[in-house]
Amino acid sequence: MKGGLAVALGAGAIAAAPLVASTYHVLLMLPFMAYAVVLLGLNLLFGYAGLVSFGHALFIGLGAYTGAFLTTHAKIRSLEVILLAAAALGALVAVPVAALCVRYVKIYFGMLTLAFGMVFYTFVLKFYRLTGGDEGLPFLRPSLLGQSLDAMPKTDYLVGPYYYYSLAVLGLAALGMWRIVHSPFGLCLKTIRDNPAKAETLGIGVTRHRFYAFVISAVYAAVGGALLGPPTGNVDPTLAYWTHSGNIVFMTLLGGFTSFFGPVVGAFVFIYLQNWVMSVVPYWRLIFGAMLAVIVILAPDGLMGFVTRRRPALAGRT
Amino acid sequence: MLSVAGVDVFIQSSQILRGVSLEVGAREVVCLVGRNGSGKTTTLRTVMGYLSPRAGAVEFRGRPIHGRRTHEIARLGLGWAPEDCGIFSDLTVAENIEIATWTRPRGRAAAERVAQAYEVFPALRRYAARRGPEMSGGERKMLSIARALALDPEMLLLDEPFEGLSPAIIPAVSAGIAAITGLGRAILIAESNIHHVPDYTTRLYVIERGEIIFGGRPDDAWRDPGVSRIIGGRSR
Repeated sequence: MKGGLAVALGAGAIAAAPLVASTYHVLLMLPFMAYAVVLLGLNLLFGYAGLVSFGHALFIGLGAYTGAFLTTHAKIRSLEVILLAAAALGALVAVPVAALCVRYVKIYFGMLTLAFGMVFYTFVLKFYRLTGGDEGLPFLRPSLLGQSLDAMPKTDYLVGPYYYYSLAVLGLAALGMWRIVHSPFGLCLKTIRDNPAKAETLGIGVTRHRFYAFVISAVYAAVGGALLGPPTGNVDPTLAYWTHSGNIVFMTLLGGFTSFFGPVVGAFVFIYLQNWVMSVVPYWRLIFGAMLAVIVILAPDGLMGFVTRRRPALAGRT
Repeated sequence: MLSVAGVDVFIQSSQILRGVSLEVGAREVVCLVGRNGSGKTTTLRTVMGYLSPRAGAVEFRGRPIHGRRTHEIARLGLGWAPEDCGIFSDLTVAENIEIATWTRPRGRAAAERVAQAYEVFPALRRYAARRGPEMSGGERKMLSIARALALDPEMLLLDEPFEGLSPAIIPAVSAGIAAITGLGRAILIAESNIHHVPDYTTRLYVIERGEIIFGGRPDDAWRDPGVSRIIGGRSR
């Protein structure tokens, strides 16, 4: 009940942000919402299935490049089509990658995903004709719900229609993921994370469940990746680089992978904190590295851990 | 129902089971008795597909199951309650039981199967919202058996169901197992303490150093001098 209220307040605050916050801060909300979609998916794999991928930038990059390619080369501007194409392509690429990766766990899984991520990064960098190489590709302004908004000034477009479009996508993605993790499938993933050998005795096909979780997370990453494109208007290979995969794992740890909305909170804090620290000192990576160490040692449940840890005590008192 | 024939099992290079054969018929309660380290758990784990035999065969309901994956064997109708219970600590008691109804959908309604599991162990109903770490050893044991039962299996494998339990809770677990036999399920129990062998046991096997040294009616086991020396029957 209290959780529902917090979610409603959070959604309300995001919806109201363009009315009250400065344009600058509202623009920062756009990558936040895109990353939130990515992280909802990543956490199905990380938090629920217990598999840490260091290669999900592959799918972010895939989604972003799908949008850039469709808007520049194929003259398709509809964001609905772009998101569906990103999701479909994400799933298509994820099927063989997942089939190979989910045979392994722990560090072997992580390294294999990293390897696939770097293969894709190299592909993006070298296939100049298709991807624009290190210069990247422009992501032309997509039309929303069939409305071409090319006449609008860019900032108005981003803080207005595009902002609410992103919010709607995030809302749908969150709703979908909520249904997934609270379905029998989600419970099966939890049992697998807990003890794969014992999960099998209940008739749960461990590899198959991990495979599905991987593919779903890849679809989310591709959709989130496609949403990252329009605010900058350009996609480049750094989106697919392994440090980007590391960033999203960091966001998940920061917010807390043990809670459903933890990664979303992590994305929010990461983006605003990074923006602030970068403006104060040039060594933001140094500071973020120290933060990561502190989180892992002192607060393994992330920021949401401070909220949820107190809950049992409160419940006990009432 | 279950037939294990001449099974040799190796763990790395050590031979753990030597030509183990046993039978469990429909509605039978069979006990596999042996000292710690004699191969009881290895036998059950081999049936569940965690280990594959180097020689011999395991058949369940007339179909060979050795070499098949554990989850496939479970779906064929073998419910497994391991020695360490294997409770999923992130799930509530209710979820631990319900999950088995999803992984093996059957003709019978899920609600009916869950209700049956609670009927066998009524104590669990009170803890439905609790999670694994908040339960005692006996409650975990009951949950483990109830969960295996919710799979609606034709047969249950119980690995030392009384191991490490306080004497106060043993009757509740024992009554639960007795209730399951009333439901027409076959049961194979591994047990190291001969005094825990239930009265309704129809057949007893004694295993020692990976070999079956006795198979027959429980009463006959007491008369076998070799058996009673090994399983400590003389004290009774």
